[in-house]
Amino acid sequence: MRGPKVIADGEGILRGLDPVTLASPLQSVPDAVGELPGVLQEPWVLAAFVLVIGFGFGLLMGQFNKRLLTAVGVPEAVEGTAFERTAQSLGTSTVTILARLSSWFIYAVAIIAAINIAQLISTENFWARVAGFVPQAFIAILIVVVGFVVADKAELLVSERLRGVKLPEVNFVPRLVKYSVLYVAFLVALGQIGVQTLALVALLAVYALAVVLFAGLALQDFLSSGAAGVYLLLNQPYGIGDEVEIGDRRGVVQGMDIVVTRVENDGEEYIIPNRKIIQEGVVRIRE
Amino acid sequence: MAELTELLEDVVSDVDAVVLFSPSGSYYERFARVDNLDVVVIAPENSVGADNYVELPLEFENVAQRIQFGIEGAIDEELVNEGDVLACVTGVFGEGVDTVSRVRSDAFTHTGVYELFAESRAPAEVIRDVFELAIELGRKGQKGKPVGALFVVGDAGKVMNKSRPLSYNPFEKSHVHVGDPIVNVMLKEFSRLDGAFVISDKGKIVSAYRYLEPSAEGVDIPKGLGARHMAAGAITRDTNAIAVVLSESDGLVRAFKGGEMVLELDPEEY
Repeated sequence: MRGPKVIADGEGILRGLDPVTLASPLQSVPDAVGELPGVLQEPWVLAAFVLVIGFGFGLLMGQFNKRLLTAVGVPEAVEGTAFERTAQSLGTSTVTILARLSSWFIYAVAIIAAINIAQLISTENFWARVAGFVPQAFIAILIVVVGFVVADKAELLVSERLRGVKLPEVNFVPRLVKYSVLYVAFLVALGQIGVQTLALVALLAVYALAVVLFAGLALQDFLSSGAAGVYLLLNQPYGIGDEVEIGDRRGVVQGMDIVVTRVENDGEEYIIPNRKIIQEGVVRIRE
Repeated sequence: MAELTELLEDVVSDVDAVVLFSPSGSYYERFARVDNLDVVVIAPENSVGADNYVELPLEFENVAQRIQFGIEGAIDEELVNEGDVLACVTGVFGEGVDTVSRVRSDAFTHTGVYELFAESRAPAEVIRDVFELAIELGRKGQKGKPVGALFVVGDAGKVMNKSRPLSYNPFEKSHVHVGDPIVNVMLKEFSRLDGAFVISDKGKIVSAYRYLEPSAEGVDIPKGLGARHMAAGAITRDTNAIAVVLSESDGLVRAFKGGEMVLELDPEEY
C-alpha cells in the first residue's frame, strides 16, 4: 500500500516539481519524463489513479473472499490437513492464503495496467504477453494450493477407510494417493503457465520409476519376507504351538504375521523374518 | 444451601488427589486450572490430553469395580501413593458426572485387575475384546439356555503344548481375530463348542475344542467353582496366559491370571 500512496500524494505537487526528482523513485523512466514532461502528465495521473483503485479493490476483494470462503465452510473442510497445519504453524491459514492470493492477483493486474497506461515501456507486445501470463500464473498457484489441500484431504479419507484393515502395510496407500494427487496438480499448474510438460511427465515418470526401483532394492528383504509370509499364512506348514527349528534356533511358534514369525523357547523369543524360513527350511520337531 | 455445602465439604476436604472418571474436556480444564491439585484422569481414551492418565479398558458398570480398577492403575503407574486420600468423581446414572466418593487408595485388597490388562502378554485391546466377547456370549446364551466358555489369551504356543484337541479345530488355517466383526456373527456357534478357545498374543483365534491339561497343583480359586474354572486357573499358573471364563451355572464372567481369580463381572449389567 506504500507505493500508490506516495504517488497519489505526489499528484498535487506534480507540476511544481523538477521532473528528475519526480521520476527518481521509478529508476527506469527518467529520460521519458525529462523529454516530454507536459505530454506525460495525463497518463501519470491516470496510472496512479488505476493503482489506487486497484489496490483498494484488491484489499476489498481479499476481505470479501475470506468471508465467502469462511461462510461456505472451507475452514471445516480443510481442518486437519497437513497444508492447513503448516499454514497454522506459520501463523496463517488456508483461507487467508487463498484470500491473499486473490488480492495479490488484483494488485498485479492493477500494477500492469498502470504501467501500461503510463507507457513506461513502449514495447506493447511484451506487456501484452505479461498481462496474459499473470492470470495464468495465479491460476497455477491456485491449482497448487488447492492440489495440496485436496491431496491432504484424500490422504485423510483413504486412511480413514483403511483403518478397519488389520494389515499395517496398507498405511503406505494413503500417502501414495496424496502424492499422486499432488503430482497431477503440479502438472496441471505447469500446463497452465504454458511450460512444456511432456518432457516433465517423462522426467517424473523416470523419477518415479527410479524411486520404485530404489524402494524395491531397499525393501527387498521386506518384500521377499512378505511374499514368503503370504505362502506361510495360506498354507501354514507349521502352526502356533508347534515346536520347530529354523537354522539353529529352536522353540515353540508363538505367532506369525506377513513379515516375521515369532519362535520362543525358555526365556528367549526369536523374531525370524519369513524370508529365512523359506531359505533355510523348517524342521518340525515331533517327539 | 450454604449449610449443605458445608456439611458435604468433609467429602473432599484434605484430599491428596482428585480422580476424574471419563470427564468431558471443559470439566477437566476446570480442575486442571486449580493450583496445587493433583488430577488423575481415568477414561477409555485420553481425549482431554491429561498428563496423569490411566486407560480404562472396560466401562465397568459396577462403580466400586470401576474405582478399584482406576486406583490400582493409578498406584501402578505411580500417579498416586498408597495411603493417599482420593476424591473420585464419576457418573453412576447415565452420562456425565454425578457422584463424588472419598476413598483411601489402600482401602482395597490388591486384586491385580489393572495388571490383568496392562501387564499381560497380550495387549489390553485384545483382552478387552475377549471380555466383550464373553460378556456378549453370556447375555445371548441366557436368552435360550445358559452357556459356558473358556478363553485362554496369550502365550498360545505354550498353551497349545499343554492341551490336546477334542475334535478337529474349526479355526485351522483361518485368520479370525477376536476384534473382527465376523466374530459377533459366530457367537451363537461358539456356544456349542466344548473345550477352550486359545487366542494368541495378537488376538488371533488359534484353536477351539482344546482340552487343557495343566497340572492343577497349587491353584487357589474360590471353592464351588467347577472344572472349567479350575482348568482356567491352572493353565494361567502353568503359562503366561490369562483366562476369561463364562460360567455356565451362574452366568458370571471371571478372569484368571497367575492361577488366581482377579476379576468377576456380571454380563447382565453391561
